[in-house]
Amino acid sequence: MSLAILFMDELNGFYRSKVMLFLWAGLPVLAVFLYLMSPDTGSVPFSSFTAILVGSIGGVISAAMLAVGIINERERHVYDLFVIRPVKRRNIMLAKFLAVYVCIMIAGSIALLLGFGIDYLNSDLPLDEVVSLSLPGFIIIVAMMAISCSAGVLIGVFSPSVLVGVILVMYGANQLSAIVILPVLTASTDDYFPLLPGVAVTAALLFLAVLIFEKKQL
Amino acid sequence: MQNPELAGHGYIASLDRVTKSYGNLRAITDITLGVRKGEIFGYIGPNGAGKTTTIKILVGLIKDYDGAMAIGSNGTASSRGRALGYLPQYAAFQEWRTVSQALTTFGKLSGMSTLSIKQRMSEVLELLGIPETKNRKIAQLSGGTIQKVGMAQAILHEPEFLVLDEPMAGLDPASRYQFKNVFRQLSREGTTILFSSHILSDVQDIASRIGIISRGRLMHAGTLDELKERLKIPKNIDVMLSKDSGRLKELERIKGVQSIERVEQGRYVVHLTSEADIDIAVDTLIRNLVDGGSKIRFINPVSLDLEDLYMRFVNQGEST
Repeated sequence: MSLAILFMDELNGFYRSKVMLFLWAGLPVLAVFLYLMSPDTGSVPFSSFTAILVGSIGGVISAAMLAVGIINERERHVYDLFVIRPVKRRNIMLAKFLAVYVCIMIAGSIALLLGFGIDYLNSDLPLDEVVSLSLPGFIIIVAMMAISCSAGVLIGVFSPSVLVGVILVMYGANQLSAIVILPVLTASTDDYFPLLPGVAVTAALLFLAVLIFEKKQL
Repeated sequence: MQNPELAGHGYIASLDRVTKSYGNLRAITDITLGVRKGEIFGYIGPNGAGKTTTIKILVGLIKDYDGAMAIGSNGTASSRGRALGYLPQYAAFQEWRTVSQALTTFGKLSGMSTLSIKQRMSEVLELLGIPETKNRKIAQLSGGTIQKVGMAQAILHEPEFLVLDEPMAGLDPASRYQFKNVFRQLSREGTTILFSSHILSDVQDIASRIGIISRGRLMHAGTLDELKERLKIPKNIDVMLSKDSGRLKELERIKGVQSIERVEQGRYVVHLTSEADIDIAVDTLIRNLVDGGSKIRFINPVSLDLEDLYMRFVNQGEST
Protein backbone atom coordinates (compact mmCIF):
# COMPACT_ATOMS: atom_id res chain seq x y z
CA MET A 1 0.00 0.00 0.00
CA SER A 2 2.72 2.45 0.95
CA LEU A 3 4.55 1.67 -2.33
CA ALA A 4 1.50 2.73 -4.36
CA ILE A 5 1.11 5.95 -2.34
CA LEU A 6 4.80 6.75 -2.60
CA PHE A 7 4.94 5.92 -6.31
CA MET A 8 2.00 8.19 -7.14
CA ASP A 9 3.53 10.86 -4.95
CA GLU A 10 6.95 10.69 -6.62
CA LEU A 11 5.35 10.54 -10.05
CA ASN A 12 3.47 13.69 -9.17
CA GLY A 13 6.77 15.35 -8.32
CA PHE A 14 8.83 14.11 -11.24
CA TYR A 15 6.46 14.52 -14.12
CA ARG A 16 6.07 18.20 -13.31
CA SER A 17 9.74 18.87 -12.68
CA LYS A 18 11.59 21.15 -15.09
CA VAL A 19 14.15 18.45 -15.89
CA MET A 20 11.43 16.02 -16.87
CA LEU A 21 9.65 18.58 -19.01
CA PHE A 22 12.96 19.25 -20.71
CA LEU A 23 13.47 15.54 -21.35
CA TRP A 24 9.96 15.02 -22.69
CA ALA A 25 10.54 17.73 -25.23
CA GLY A 26 14.33 17.47 -25.41
CA LEU A 27 14.78 13.79 -26.27
CA PRO A 28 12.46 13.88 -29.31
CA VAL A 29 14.13 17.10 -30.46
CA LEU A 30 17.49 15.38 -30.02
CA ALA A 31 16.28 12.49 -32.19
CA VAL A 32 15.35 14.88 -35.00
CA PHE A 33 18.61 16.78 -34.56
CA LEU A 34 20.61 13.54 -34.82
CA TYR A 35 18.82 12.67 -38.04
CA LEU A 36 19.51 16.06 -39.54
CA MET A 37 23.16 15.82 -38.55
CA SER A 38 23.63 12.28 -39.72
CA PRO A 39 20.85 11.12 -42.01
CA ASP A 40 22.79 8.08 -43.24
CA THR A 41 23.25 5.44 -40.53
CA GLY A 42 24.29 2.71 -42.89
CA SER A 43 22.64 -0.61 -42.24
CA VAL A 44 21.54 0.34 -38.72
CA PRO A 45 17.89 1.46 -38.60
CA PHE A 46 17.63 5.07 -37.50
CA SER A 47 15.32 4.02 -34.66
CA SER A 48 18.07 1.80 -33.20
CA PHE A 49 20.62 4.59 -33.61
CA THR A 50 18.23 6.98 -31.84
CA ALA A 51 17.54 4.43 -29.12
CA ILE A 52 21.21 4.01 -28.22
CA LEU A 53 21.92 7.74 -28.10
CA VAL A 54 18.69 8.67 -26.38
CA GLY A 55 19.03 5.74 -23.98
CA SER A 56 22.52 6.88 -23.11
CA ILE A 57 21.78 10.60 -22.71
CA GLY A 58 18.37 10.10 -21.08
CA GLY A 59 19.86 7.43 -18.85
CA VAL A 60 22.64 9.70 -17.60
CA ILE A 61 20.20 12.51 -16.93
CA SER A 62 17.73 10.29 -15.07
CA ALA A 63 20.52 8.63 -13.07
CA ALA A 64 21.92 12.04 -12.14
CA MET A 65 18.45 13.29 -11.24
CA LEU A 66 17.85 10.31 -8.99
CA ALA A 67 21.28 10.30 -7.38
CA VAL A 68 21.39 14.05 -6.72
CA GLY A 69 17.78 14.05 -5.48
CA ILE A 70 18.39 11.19 -3.06
CA ILE A 71 21.69 12.60 -1.77
CA ASN A 72 20.08 16.01 -1.16
CA GLU A 73 17.08 14.49 0.54
CA ARG A 74 19.29 12.28 2.68
CA GLU A 75 21.44 15.23 3.73
CA ARG A 76 18.39 17.30 4.60
CA HIS A 77 16.80 14.39 6.54
CA VAL A 78 13.71 14.47 4.35
CA TYR A 79 13.20 10.72 4.86
CA ASP A 80 12.88 11.03 8.64
CA LEU A 81 9.24 12.03 8.30
CA PHE A 82 8.56 9.01 6.07
CA VAL A 83 10.28 6.27 8.04
CA ILE A 84 8.67 7.18 11.37
CA ARG A 85 5.39 6.19 9.70
CA PRO A 86 4.37 2.64 8.81
CA VAL A 87 6.41 2.78 5.61
CA LYS A 88 8.92 0.19 4.50
CA ARG A 89 12.21 1.88 3.76
CA ARG A 90 12.69 -0.11 0.57
CA ASN A 91 9.42 1.28 -0.79
CA ILE A 92 10.79 4.82 -0.63
CA MET A 93 13.63 3.91 -3.00
CA LEU A 94 11.55 1.62 -5.21
CA ALA A 95 8.93 4.35 -5.63
CA LYS A 96 11.61 6.80 -6.74
CA PHE A 97 13.04 4.31 -9.21
CA LEU A 98 9.64 3.46 -10.68
CA ALA A 99 8.51 7.09 -10.95
CA VAL A 100 11.62 8.27 -12.78
CA TYR A 101 11.72 5.13 -14.90
CA VAL A 102 8.13 5.60 -16.06
CA CYS A 103 8.74 9.28 -16.83
CA ILE A 104 12.00 8.70 -18.68
CA MET A 105 10.49 5.79 -20.61
CA ILE A 106 7.72 8.05 -21.84
CA ALA A 107 10.31 10.57 -23.02
CA GLY A 108 12.41 7.83 -24.63
CA SER A 109 9.38 6.29 -26.30
CA ILE A 110 8.39 9.62 -27.86
CA ALA A 111 11.90 9.98 -29.26
CA LEU A 112 11.87 6.41 -30.51
CA LEU A 113 8.53 6.92 -32.17
CA LEU A 114 10.08 9.77 -34.13
CA GLY A 115 12.97 7.52 -35.12
CA PHE A 116 10.47 4.92 -36.20
CA GLY A 117 8.59 7.52 -38.26
CA ILE A 118 11.79 8.58 -39.96
CA ASP A 119 12.65 4.95 -40.75
CA TYR A 120 9.19 4.40 -42.18
CA LEU A 121 9.30 7.50 -44.35
CA ASN A 122 12.80 6.73 -45.63
CA SER A 123 12.19 3.12 -46.62
CA ASP A 124 9.96 1.22 -48.96
CA LEU A 125 9.37 -1.46 -46.38
CA PRO A 126 5.87 -2.29 -45.15
CA LEU A 127 4.83 -1.00 -41.74
CA ASP A 128 5.10 -4.34 -39.89
CA GLU A 129 8.67 -4.78 -41.10
CA VAL A 130 9.65 -1.28 -39.96
CA VAL A 131 8.05 -2.07 -36.60
CA SER A 132 10.07 -5.23 -36.28
CA LEU A 133 13.21 -3.26 -37.24
CA SER A 134 12.43 -0.71 -34.51
CA LEU A 135 11.82 -3.34 -31.82
CA PRO A 136 15.52 -3.76 -30.89
CA GLY A 137 15.72 -0.01 -30.34
CA PHE A 138 12.81 -0.09 -27.93
CA ILE A 139 14.27 -3.07 -26.07
CA ILE A 140 17.58 -1.22 -25.77
CA ILE A 141 15.88 1.85 -24.33
CA VAL A 142 13.90 -0.25 -21.83
CA ALA A 143 17.03 -2.01 -20.61
CA MET A 144 19.43 0.97 -20.65
CA MET A 145 17.03 3.25 -18.79
CA ALA A 146 16.35 0.60 -16.17
CA ILE A 147 20.04 0.12 -15.46
CA SER A 148 20.69 3.86 -15.40
CA CYS A 149 17.82 4.56 -13.03
CA SER A 150 18.73 1.74 -10.66
CA ALA A 151 22.38 2.86 -10.70
CA GLY A 152 21.17 6.39 -9.89
CA VAL A 153 19.28 5.05 -6.87
CA LEU A 154 22.28 3.05 -5.67
CA ILE A 155 24.67 5.97 -6.10
CA GLY A 156 22.20 8.26 -4.32
CA VAL A 157 21.94 5.90 -1.39
CA PHE A 158 25.63 5.53 -0.66
CA SER A 159 27.37 8.62 -2.08
CA PRO A 160 28.76 10.92 0.60
CA SER A 161 28.21 14.07 -1.47
CA VAL A 162 26.53 15.41 -4.59
CA LEU A 163 29.89 15.86 -6.31
CA VAL A 164 30.90 12.23 -5.78
CA GLY A 165 27.42 11.19 -6.86
CA VAL A 166 27.60 13.09 -10.14
CA ILE A 167 31.09 11.73 -10.92
CA LEU A 168 29.91 8.19 -10.26
CA VAL A 169 26.88 8.71 -12.49
CA MET A 170 29.00 10.06 -15.33
CA TYR A 171 31.63 7.34 -15.16
CA GLY A 172 29.68 4.47 -13.61
CA ALA A 173 26.00 4.49 -14.47
CA ASN A 174 26.57 5.54 -18.07
CA GLN A 175 29.19 2.85 -18.74
CA LEU A 176 27.19 0.21 -16.93
CA SER A 177 24.04 0.83 -18.96
CA ALA A 178 26.03 0.16 -22.15
CA ILE A 179 26.17 -3.49 -21.14
CA VAL A 180 22.80 -3.99 -22.84
CA ILE A 181 24.11 -3.10 -26.29
CA LEU A 182 26.90 -5.67 -26.14
CA PRO A 183 24.68 -8.45 -27.51
CA VAL A 184 23.68 -6.13 -30.36
CA LEU A 185 27.30 -5.32 -31.13
CA THR A 186 28.19 -8.99 -30.98
CA ALA A 187 25.53 -9.60 -33.63
CA SER A 188 23.14 -11.54 -31.44
CA THR A 189 20.07 -12.37 -33.42
CA ASP A 190 17.63 -12.31 -30.51
CA ASP A 191 15.90 -8.89 -30.32
CA TYR A 192 14.94 -9.47 -26.70
CA PHE A 193 18.44 -10.46 -25.56
CA PRO A 194 19.32 -6.99 -24.12
CA LEU A 195 16.48 -7.48 -21.62
CA LEU A 196 18.43 -10.25 -19.90
CA PRO A 197 21.43 -8.15 -18.76
CA GLY A 198 19.04 -5.23 -18.30
CA VAL A 199 16.79 -7.02 -15.83
CA ALA A 200 19.66 -8.82 -14.09
CA VAL A 201 21.79 -5.71 -13.55
CA THR A 202 18.79 -3.58 -12.56
CA ALA A 203 17.63 -6.14 -10.01
CA ALA A 204 21.12 -6.46 -8.55
CA LEU A 205 21.62 -2.70 -8.28
CA LEU A 206 18.20 -2.13 -6.72
CA PHE A 207 18.71 -4.98 -4.28
CA LEU A 208 22.00 -3.46 -3.20
CA ALA A 209 20.50 0.04 -2.94
CA VAL A 210 17.60 -1.18 -0.80
CA LEU A 211 19.94 -3.21 1.39
CA ILE A 212 22.14 -0.18 2.07
CA PHE A 213 19.18 2.13 2.64
CA GLU A 214 17.59 -0.32 5.10
CA LYS A 215 20.79 -0.42 7.16
CA LYS A 216 21.69 3.22 6.84
CA GLN A 217 21.49 5.58 9.79
CA LEU A 218 19.29 8.41 8.59
CA MET B 1 12.12 -8.31 33.22
CA GLN B 2 10.79 -4.77 33.53
CA ASN B 3 12.97 -2.20 35.20
CA PRO B 4 11.45 -1.40 38.63
CA GLU B 5 11.99 2.31 37.88
CA LEU B 6 9.46 2.02 35.05
CA ALA B 7 6.88 -0.18 36.76
CA GLY B 8 3.35 0.93 37.46
CA HIS B 9 3.21 4.46 36.05
CA GLY B 10 1.24 3.90 32.84
CA TYR B 11 4.01 5.10 30.60
CA ILE B 12 3.17 5.76 26.96
CA ALA B 13 6.85 5.58 26.06
CA SER B 14 9.80 4.24 27.91
CA LEU B 15 13.49 3.70 27.52
CA ASP B 16 15.05 1.04 29.69
CA ARG B 17 18.82 1.25 30.22
CA VAL B 18 19.38 2.50 26.68
CA THR B 19 22.93 3.08 25.53
CA LYS B 20 24.00 4.24 22.09
CA SER B 21 27.47 4.76 20.66
CA TYR B 22 28.65 6.14 17.34
CA GLY B 23 31.89 4.27 16.78
CA ASN B 24 34.00 5.00 19.84
CA LEU B 25 31.86 7.94 20.85
CA ARG B 26 29.27 7.17 23.53
CA ALA B 27 26.24 9.37 22.82
CA ILE B 28 23.95 8.23 25.64
CA THR B 29 24.59 5.90 28.54
CA ASP B 30 22.08 3.81 30.45
CA ILE B 31 19.12 6.11 29.94
CA THR B 32 16.02 4.94 31.80
CA LEU B 33 13.11 7.23 31.16
CA GLY B 34 9.33 6.95 31.16
CA VAL B 35 6.86 9.41 29.68
CA ARG B 36 3.48 9.29 31.39
CA LYS B 37 0.24 9.36 29.49
CA GLY B 38 -1.11 12.89 29.07
CA GLU B 39 1.91 14.77 30.36
CA ILE B 40 4.13 17.37 28.71
CA PHE B 41 7.69 16.22 29.26
CA GLY B 42 10.45 18.76 28.70
CA TYR B 43 13.83 17.30 27.81
CA ILE B 44 16.73 19.64 28.31
CA GLY B 45 20.49 19.49 28.14
CA PRO B 46 23.48 21.25 26.60
CA ASN B 47 24.51 20.80 22.96
CA GLY B 48 25.80 17.30 22.31
CA ALA B 49 24.33 15.96 25.55
CA GLY B 50 22.36 13.26 23.73
CA LYS B 51 18.87 14.76 23.44
CA THR B 52 18.49 14.17 19.72
CA THR B 53 19.92 10.66 19.99
CA THR B 54 17.36 9.83 22.68
CA ILE B 55 14.57 11.27 20.56
CA LYS B 56 15.71 9.43 17.42
CA ILE B 57 15.68 6.16 19.35
CA LEU B 58 12.18 6.92 20.64
CA VAL B 59 10.77 7.58 17.19
CA GLY B 60 12.56 4.61 15.60
CA LEU B 61 15.09 6.50 13.48
CA ILE B 62 17.94 4.80 15.35
CA LYS B 63 17.50 1.08 15.63
CA ASP B 64 20.87 -0.22 16.74
CA TYR B 65 21.24 0.53 20.43
CA ASP B 66 21.55 -1.42 23.64
CA GLY B 67 18.63 -1.59 26.04
CA ALA B 68 14.90 -1.61 25.43
CA MET B 69 12.34 0.88 24.15
CA ALA B 70 8.56 0.70 24.13
CA ILE B 71 6.13 3.15 22.64
CA GLY B 72 2.37 3.47 22.13
CA SER B 73 -0.49 2.70 24.46
CA ASN B 74 0.02 -1.04 24.11
CA GLY B 75 3.77 -0.72 24.11
CA THR B 76 4.32 -2.48 20.80
CA ALA B 77 6.47 -1.25 17.97
CA SER B 78 3.73 -2.09 15.45
CA SER B 79 1.40 0.50 16.97
CA ARG B 80 4.05 3.17 16.67
CA GLY B 81 3.17 4.50 13.23
CA ARG B 82 -0.33 5.61 14.11
CA ALA B 83 0.44 6.49 17.71
CA LEU B 84 3.40 8.70 16.99
CA GLY B 85 3.83 12.23 15.72
CA TYR B 86 7.33 13.59 15.22
CA LEU B 87 8.79 16.98 14.45
CA PRO B 88 12.56 17.11 13.89
CA GLN B 89 14.61 20.17 14.76
CA TYR B 90 14.47 21.34 11.15
CA ALA B 91 11.52 19.85 9.33
CA ALA B 92 12.53 19.13 5.72
CA PHE B 93 10.28 18.35 2.78
CA GLN B 94 10.82 17.65 -0.88
CA GLU B 95 11.00 21.07 -2.44
CA TRP B 96 8.55 20.49 -5.25
CA ARG B 97 5.69 19.88 -2.85
CA THR B 98 2.98 22.28 -1.87
CA VAL B 99 1.89 22.27 1.77
CA SER B 100 -1.30 20.50 0.79
CA GLN B 101 0.57 17.78 -1.16
CA ALA B 102 2.96 17.17 1.72
CA LEU B 103 0.21 16.87 4.30
CA THR B 104 -1.88 14.65 2.04
CA THR B 105 1.00 12.24 1.51
CA PHE B 106 1.92 12.08 5.19
CA GLY B 107 -1.74 11.69 6.11
CA LYS B 108 -2.14 8.79 3.69
CA LEU B 109 1.05 7.15 4.92
CA SER B 110 -0.30 7.45 8.46
CA GLY B 111 -3.39 5.54 7.39
CA MET B 112 -5.87 8.43 7.12
CA SER B 113 -8.67 8.52 4.57
CA THR B 114 -8.71 11.25 1.91
CA LEU B 115 -11.81 12.80 3.48
CA SER B 116 -10.39 12.96 6.99
CA ILE B 117 -7.11 14.37 5.64
CA LYS B 118 -9.02 17.18 3.96
CA GLN B 119 -10.93 18.02 7.13
CA ARG B 120 -7.96 17.75 9.47
CA MET B 121 -5.68 19.72 7.15
CA SER B 122 -7.88 22.81 7.37
CA GLU B 123 -8.19 22.44 11.15
CA VAL B 124 -4.48 21.99 11.71
CA LEU B 125 -3.38 24.82 9.41
CA GLU B 126 -5.91 27.07 11.11
CA LEU B 127 -4.65 26.03 14.54
CA LEU B 128 -1.09 26.90 13.54
CA GLY B 129 -2.13 30.17 11.94
CA ILE B 130 -1.02 29.30 8.39
CA PRO B 131 -4.23 28.50 6.44
CA GLU B 132 -3.07 30.72 3.54
CA THR B 133 -0.04 28.49 2.86
CA LYS B 134 -2.13 25.47 1.86
CA ASN B 135 -1.49 25.75 -1.87
CA ARG B 136 1.94 27.31 -1.69
CA LYS B 137 5.15 25.50 -2.51
CA ILE B 138 7.14 24.62 0.58
CA ALA B 139 10.33 25.91 -1.07
CA GLN B 140 8.80 29.41 -1.07
CA LEU B 141 8.06 29.45 2.67
CA SER B 142 10.17 30.98 5.44
CA GLY B 143 12.03 28.77 7.92
CA GLY B 144 9.52 29.47 10.68
CA THR B 145 6.56 28.65 8.45
CA ILE B 146 8.21 25.41 7.29
CA GLN B 147 8.58 24.50 10.95
CA LYS B 148 4.85 25.12 11.36
CA VAL B 149 4.16 22.87 8.37
CA GLY B 150 6.38 20.32 10.13
CA MET B 151 4.21 20.67 13.20
CA ALA B 152 1.12 20.28 11.03
CA GLN B 153 2.31 16.93 9.66
CA ALA B 154 3.16 15.80 13.19
CA ILE B 155 -0.34 16.39 14.56
CA LEU B 156 -2.40 15.78 11.41
CA HIS B 157 -3.20 12.16 12.25
CA GLU B 158 -3.98 12.97 15.89
CA PRO B 159 -1.21 10.87 17.41
CA GLU B 160 -1.42 9.94 21.07
CA PHE B 161 2.29 10.64 21.55
CA LEU B 162 4.02 13.66 20.07
CA VAL B 163 7.82 13.85 20.02
CA LEU B 164 9.31 17.23 19.17
CA ASP B 165 13.02 17.93 18.83
CA GLU B 166 13.69 21.59 19.61
CA PRO B 167 10.35 22.57 18.07
CA MET B 168 10.63 26.25 18.90
CA ALA B 169 14.32 26.80 18.12
CA GLY B 170 13.84 28.77 14.91
CA LEU B 171 10.64 30.58 15.80
CA ASP B 172 10.03 34.22 16.61
CA PRO B 173 8.51 35.06 20.02
CA ALA B 174 4.95 35.28 18.67
CA SER B 175 5.23 31.87 17.01
CA ARG B 176 6.79 30.39 20.15
CA TYR B 177 3.85 31.68 22.15
CA GLN B 178 1.51 30.15 19.60
CA PHE B 179 3.32 26.77 19.70
CA LYS B 180 3.13 26.71 23.49
CA ASN B 181 -0.60 27.32 23.33
CA VAL B 182 -0.93 24.52 20.80
CA PHE B 183 0.98 22.19 23.13
CA ARG B 184 -1.30 23.12 26.02
CA GLN B 185 -4.40 22.55 23.89
CA LEU B 186 -3.15 19.17 22.64
CA SER B 187 -2.28 18.16 26.19
CA ARG B 188 -5.77 19.09 27.37
CA GLU B 189 -7.15 16.90 24.58
CA GLY B 190 -5.11 13.96 25.87
CA THR B 191 -1.99 14.02 23.70
CA THR B 192 1.23 13.12 25.46
CA ILE B 193 4.11 15.39 24.46
CA LEU B 194 7.84 15.03 24.80
CA PHE B 195 9.86 17.98 23.58
CA SER B 196 13.47 19.01 23.84
CA SER B 197 14.50 22.61 24.12
CA HIS B 198 17.32 24.96 24.87
CA ILE B 199 14.88 27.67 25.84
CA LEU B 200 14.51 26.88 29.49
CA SER B 201 11.74 29.39 30.12
CA ASP B 202 9.63 27.57 27.52
CA VAL B 203 10.19 24.28 29.31
CA GLN B 204 9.35 25.87 32.64
CA ASP B 205 6.17 27.39 31.18
CA ILE B 206 4.60 24.25 29.80
CA ALA B 207 6.31 21.07 30.98
CA SER B 208 4.67 19.09 33.74
CA ARG B 209 7.84 17.04 34.19
CA ILE B 210 11.35 17.61 33.00
CA GLY B 211 14.34 15.46 32.16
CA ILE B 212 17.86 16.85 32.31
CA ILE B 213 20.53 15.11 30.28
CA SER B 214 24.20 15.94 30.50
CA ARG B 215 27.08 14.16 28.77
CA GLY B 216 24.78 11.35 27.68
CA ARG B 217 23.46 10.59 31.16
CA LEU B 218 20.02 11.41 32.46
CA MET B 219 20.70 13.52 35.52
CA HIS B 220 17.10 13.95 36.60
CA ALA B 221 13.56 13.14 35.54
CA GLY B 222 10.69 14.53 37.55
CA THR B 223 8.79 17.67 38.41
CA LEU B 224 10.48 20.97 39.09
CA ASP B 225 9.62 20.65 42.78
CA GLU B 226 11.14 17.17 42.93
CA LEU B 227 14.21 18.62 41.31
CA LYS B 228 14.49 21.37 43.92
CA GLU B 229 13.96 18.84 46.67
CA ARG B 230 16.64 16.59 45.27
CA LEU B 231 19.14 19.39 44.98
CA LYS B 232 18.40 20.50 48.52
CA ILE B 233 17.91 24.05 47.40
CA PRO B 234 18.14 26.39 50.39
CA LYS B 235 14.80 27.93 51.29
CA ASN B 236 15.04 31.68 51.65
CA ILE B 237 12.57 34.53 52.04
CA ASP B 238 13.35 38.00 50.74
CA VAL B 239 11.89 40.70 53.00
CA MET B 240 11.80 44.46 52.25
CA LEU B 241 10.47 46.74 54.95
CA SER B 242 9.27 50.30 54.41
CA LYS B 243 9.39 50.86 58.17
CA ASP B 244 11.99 48.85 60.03
CA SER B 245 11.34 48.51 63.74
CA GLY B 246 14.84 47.04 64.04
CA ARG B 247 13.53 43.92 65.71
CA LEU B 248 13.67 41.52 62.77
CA LYS B 249 16.73 39.68 64.10
CA GLU B 250 14.57 38.69 67.08
CA LEU B 251 12.49 36.56 64.74
CA GLU B 252 15.30 33.99 64.50
CA ARG B 253 13.52 32.21 67.34
CA ILE B 254 10.54 31.41 65.07
CA LYS B 255 10.27 27.71 64.29
CA GLY B 256 11.83 26.91 60.93
CA VAL B 257 13.98 30.06 60.75
CA GLN B 258 17.67 29.26 60.72
CA SER B 259 19.11 32.78 60.50
CA ILE B 260 18.29 36.26 59.29
CA GLU B 261 20.76 38.22 57.22
CA ARG B 262 20.57 41.98 56.70
CA VAL B 263 21.54 42.77 53.13
CA GLU B 264 20.85 46.52 53.07
CA GLN B 265 18.84 49.15 54.90
CA GLY B 266 15.37 47.65 55.44
CA ARG B 267 16.11 44.52 53.43
CA TYR B 268 16.69 41.05 54.86
CA VAL B 269 17.06 37.49 53.69
CA VAL B 270 15.49 34.96 56.02
CA HIS B 271 17.19 31.56 55.77
CA LEU B 272 14.93 28.66 56.66
CA THR B 273 15.85 25.18 57.83
CA SER B 274 15.47 22.40 55.25
CA GLU B 275 12.45 21.01 57.13
CA ALA B 276 10.61 24.34 57.25
CA ASP B 277 7.37 24.84 55.34
CA ILE B 278 7.88 28.02 53.38
CA ASP B 279 4.20 29.04 53.36
CA ILE B 280 3.86 28.71 57.13
CA ALA B 281 7.14 30.60 57.58
CA VAL B 282 5.95 33.52 55.41
CA ASP B 283 2.67 33.70 57.29
CA THR B 284 4.38 33.66 60.69
CA LEU B 285 6.91 36.27 59.59
CA ILE B 286 4.21 38.66 58.34
CA ARG B 287 2.26 38.41 61.58
CA ASN B 288 5.33 38.90 63.75
CA LEU B 289 6.62 41.82 61.69
CA VAL B 290 3.29 43.65 61.76
CA ASP B 291 2.84 42.95 65.49
CA GLY B 292 6.36 44.27 66.07
CA GLY B 293 5.56 47.60 64.38
CA SER B 294 7.29 47.07 61.04
CA LYS B 295 5.67 47.92 57.71
CA ILE B 296 6.25 45.46 54.89
CA ARG B 297 6.97 46.66 51.34
CA PHE B 298 7.25 43.12 50.03
CA ILE B 299 7.93 39.62 51.23
CA ASN B 300 8.84 37.01 48.69
CA PRO B 301 9.99 33.39 48.88
CA VAL B 302 13.18 33.13 46.84
CA SER B 303 12.82 30.34 44.31
CA LEU B 304 15.44 29.22 41.85
CA ASP B 305 14.13 28.99 38.33
CA LEU B 306 14.79 26.14 35.95
CA GLU B 307 17.83 27.90 34.55
CA ASP B 308 19.56 27.94 37.95
CA LEU B 309 18.63 24.32 38.59
CA TYR B 310 19.72 23.28 35.13
CA MET B 311 23.10 24.93 35.56
CA ARG B 312 23.61 23.13 38.85
CA PHE B 313 22.91 19.80 37.19
CA VAL B 314 25.05 20.52 34.17
CA ASN B 315 27.92 21.64 36.38
CA GLN B 316 27.41 18.55 38.49
CA GLY B 317 27.55 16.42 35.33
CA GLU B 318 30.76 18.07 34.22
CA SER B 319 32.45 17.60 37.56
CA THR B 320 31.72 13.84 37.65
